[in-house]
Amino acid sequence: MTGASFLRILKGAASAAVVALSLTACSLPGSGPGEREAWLEANDPFEPLNRAIFGINEAADFLVIGPAAYAYNAIVPDPVRESVRSFTANLLSPITIVNQLLQGDFDGAIHATGRFLTNTVLGAGGIADVAAAAGIPDQKEDFGQTLAVWGFNEGPYVVLPFLGPSSMRDATGYAVDTLADPVRMWAANTDHEGAYMAKGIAGGIDRRSRVLKEVEDLRRNSVDYYATLRSLYRQQRKADIEEKAAVAQPDFPAFEKTPEAPAKKK
Amino acid sequence: MFDRTLTGRRALLKSVAGFAAAATLPLIARTALAQDPGASAFIQKLGDRAIKTFSDKGTKAAAKEKFRALLVEGFDIPYIGRWVLGRYWNVANDAQRQEYMALFERMIVDAYAGRFAEYSGETFKITGARPEGDADSTVTTQIVRPSGPPINVDWRVRKAGATYKIIDVAVEGVSMGVTQRSEFASVIQTNGGQFDGLLKVLRAKVAG
Repeated sequence: MTGASFLRILKGAASAAVVALSLTACSLPGSGPGEREAWLEANDPFEPLNRAIFGINEAADFLVIGPAAYAYNAIVPDPVRESVRSFTANLLSPITIVNQLLQGDFDGAIHATGRFLTNTVLGAGGIADVAAAAGIPDQKEDFGQTLAVWGFNEGPYVVLPFLGPSSMRDATGYAVDTLADPVRMWAANTDHEGAYMAKGIAGGIDRRSRVLKEVEDLRRNSVDYYATLRSLYRQQRKADIEEKAAVAQPDFPAFEKTPEAPAKKK
Repeated sequence: MFDRTLTGRRALLKSVAGFAAAATLPLIARTALAQDPGASAFIQKLGDRAIKTFSDKGTKAAAKEKFRALLVEGFDIPYIGRWVLGRYWNVANDAQRQEYMALFERMIVDAYAGRFAEYSGETFKITGARPEGDADSTVTTQIVRPSGPPINVDWRVRKAGATYKIIDVAVEGVSMGVTQRSEFASVIQTNGGQFDGLLKVLRAKVAG
């Protein structure tokens, strides 16, 4: 067998696998009443695949990330956690500034640049958020938000391995932000990939440690945790993008008559 | 020529002034509506009572019962229950609707009672109110925590006669009703569009 024909067979097998995978990984609308609308509303054509990745993420959270976040919260004193938070947030400032410029938000960019310089110089490289203490709050902008400002729809829902809920648009934005991140470039060019990874992991555990109670509450109180997170993610992104100024209100029609629940048995 | 320009300008000024007045009129009407003190007063009173309930150190069961009464009084649970079902309300028959409503109420009370059991000195302040359509207002509040930044919570309040009821709560722009609705839709979808699938899940939830 020549190398070329072997490659051709391999390519054929690979594309067959991709087709098979995408067929099984796509959900299709049912034929019942209103099922098509429900399918469109969920905007989650990759649901089976997403749920599989979600399951893996949940397992990772149960086994490693959650316990690490609890331990981090219990062992590391408040001021140190605060410093980790400020330091990792400060390193994200260049991404925010670039995105504010791309969105045409020059005031925001000036604001964020002032914050970045203040914290880097006066806050000892960002470990103290002196700008927030001086009344300049932190605001994050990412390329997913920039794409939204440019008029791109969020696209289908996707669950990213370890990173969790996202959308086609936001996942693209995340990839662009990561590639353009000056901290990552510096790490790649100076052989500091380990430090960059450590920063990412520390940031992740810190973020998780800030929502311990919330995650517990959602897990306990939802009947479909996956669908709850999907809805929460979308609404939160929408609120961030619209900066809470004019979040479209859902429609609350008047119903003719709603039956009362039967009296509770004692 | 000069004179004409002047009159022209004066006419323009006048029309601008008139336009401004016309534009401000609905604004004034809106502000008057927004200042309808009923909805805000209702939230203030309900919030004060809720905080009093949480800080009373009674038995857990007694606190839950008190809280249940407060929740049923302050929230239009039948309305919320129907709203979060969306189109599936029409799929369900009367018996299913009744069972669903009873399960929904128990689930909501359990969830919120559990949440407020962790109450640790949070306070709230009303930051504003705006009208929503004819019968509704959104009362905006801030929950002030002992540590961490305050949380923005918006209460959608509907007036019926002389009483006010909450029909939705949005925390930092995330609506509880919208979230619940997509969750229930997803449960019904994964059960092949069968309403009984949701009832089964809710029964298990309430029992567990």
